[in-house]
Amino acid sequence: MHFAALFNSWPGMYLAQSFVHALVAALIVDTALVAWNIGDPRIRQRFRLIVIVLPLVTFPLFQLFDPARGSALFRLDAFFDMNRWLHLELWGAFPLGILFVLLLGFTGVLFIVQELLPILRHTTSTRHGALETTRPEPSSAVARALEGIPGTRPDVFLLNDRDVLMFSSTGRDPAIYLSPAVVRTLTVEELRAAIAHEIGHIRRSRRPVTILVFLIRVVLFLNPIILMEFRRFIQEEEKICDEVAVELTGNRAAMAGALKKFFAGGEAGDPPSEQGGVRIRDRIEEYGHTLLIEDRIERLEDTPAPEANSSVVFGFVLAAVLGICYYVV
Amino acid sequence: MKRTIGGIPVFIVMIVILIGVLQLLNWIPSAVQEGAFGRFGSVEEVRAKLKISPLLMPVYYPRSIRWPPSLIAAQTRPYRGVVTEFLKSDGSETGLVITQTERNQPPLQERIRLSTLRERVTYPLKGRTAVLEVGACGSKETCSRISWDEGAFQMTLTMLASPVDLIAIAESMVTDAAGTGTP
Repeated sequence: MHFAALFNSWPGMYLAQSFVHALVAALIVDTALVAWNIGDPRIRQRFRLIVIVLPLVTFPLFQLFDPARGSALFRLDAFFDMNRWLHLELWGAFPLGILFVLLLGFTGVLFIVQELLPILRHTTSTRHGALETTRPEPSSAVARALEGIPGTRPDVFLLNDRDVLMFSSTGRDPAIYLSPAVVRTLTVEELRAAIAHEIGHIRRSRRPVTILVFLIRVVLFLNPIILMEFRRFIQEEEKICDEVAVELTGNRAAMAGALKKFFAGGEAGDPPSEQGGVRIRDRIEEYGHTLLIEDRIERLEDTPAPEANSSVVFGFVLAAVLGICYYVV
Repeated sequence: MKRTIGGIPVFIVMIVILIGVLQLLNWIPSAVQEGAFGRFGSVEEVRAKLKISPLLMPVYYPRSIRWPPSLIAAQTRPYRGVVTEFLKSDGSETGLVITQTERNQPPLQERIRLSTLRERVTYPLKGRTAVLEVGACGSKETCSRISWDEGAFQMTLTMLASPVDLIAIAESMVTDAAGTGTP
């Protein structure tokens, strides 16, 4: 099939427009977050939903509203026509559309390798019997930490692992797993905050919005903008769970303290620097992770500033995204 | 409320900048490469600048159609294509669209689209085999479309009217011999 035919077909137009609509939405949302100085992770995450959800529906929605959208005349008067770039020929022969298709393909591979496979691996490893675990003693620090958390509490297991490890499984039988090193490193208050953070993940994983976002992420797995925005959505999720932990324990400093110790523990456990692609990639990932932890600690230590009326701002942003994306074909 | 209002000017300025950047990005391909899809003032200008030949235009226009065309747009990349739109005589909406695109390439998307097909027949058009379709465009209008191959191009005429006027327009575009001649 000729490239021109691909991008004039419905699937081709959908791919191109969902990409560019996501890009425009991400720019507008980031602008709004700066303009109104929005710091509350719950509000920030709601705004990020615009970037993740809208590109799934904008193209069919706009076409339904105006079937002539995408016609020659409409494209001529549009703010931006993606086909102009996709049909641009480098050295008179090589359409830029090929690079776009390669980018989508690369994103698809990245999604499978970095997201889908680790989730499958994680699901398998946390199944009953797949992990070497023990229940904490009734008089242990873990039991004492759990006592101070209100509401239903999931099962907590100690992992037979020497590293500083803590995570939760969010399936039918949710559970929290932590290594003895975590118990040794944290005070009871910090341990309570860390467990409360994981409870936050377990509770929030059942929200329909969270499930919807994961499904959209899978459907639009070729879209690199959605990939990036989904990661930012997850970063906001971490901050929200920090807030849940603070709400459950009433101790902001303990959550910040736990993060600081996790952060320090990660640095102490670093293997010596090596040359080579894999190590560099690890370092970059680690750098990103470090920035996120620092940001979370900073947030917990700062006094939350008053926010603008988020519903009004959300309305402005949604209108701007829809209005501009309509003229982006 | 003060915080909400305070952010509005910054947001508006950023949105204006974003629209400007989008329009700049939209202009760049046509600046760096000739032949990108663009608007032209007349059919002669298309012929002169893009060297598309033959460029078929009707000689006959029914009273229901307003002349000159409301839009003439053409491209030579990624393939040769011309779209010409005419308003209805009352100026209310586009009444006739003519597209001329290279054969085996997707037609340029038209403003009028045959959404419901009622009848499809082959029609002899001065020695060529044309396909005549009648149906509805959108919800209300009677709509007809005729298409045929003309040398290296495919011609398509879509009109918000019954086929009678459309056939007359199509016949005025071609000579009686099959091939690439102009009327």
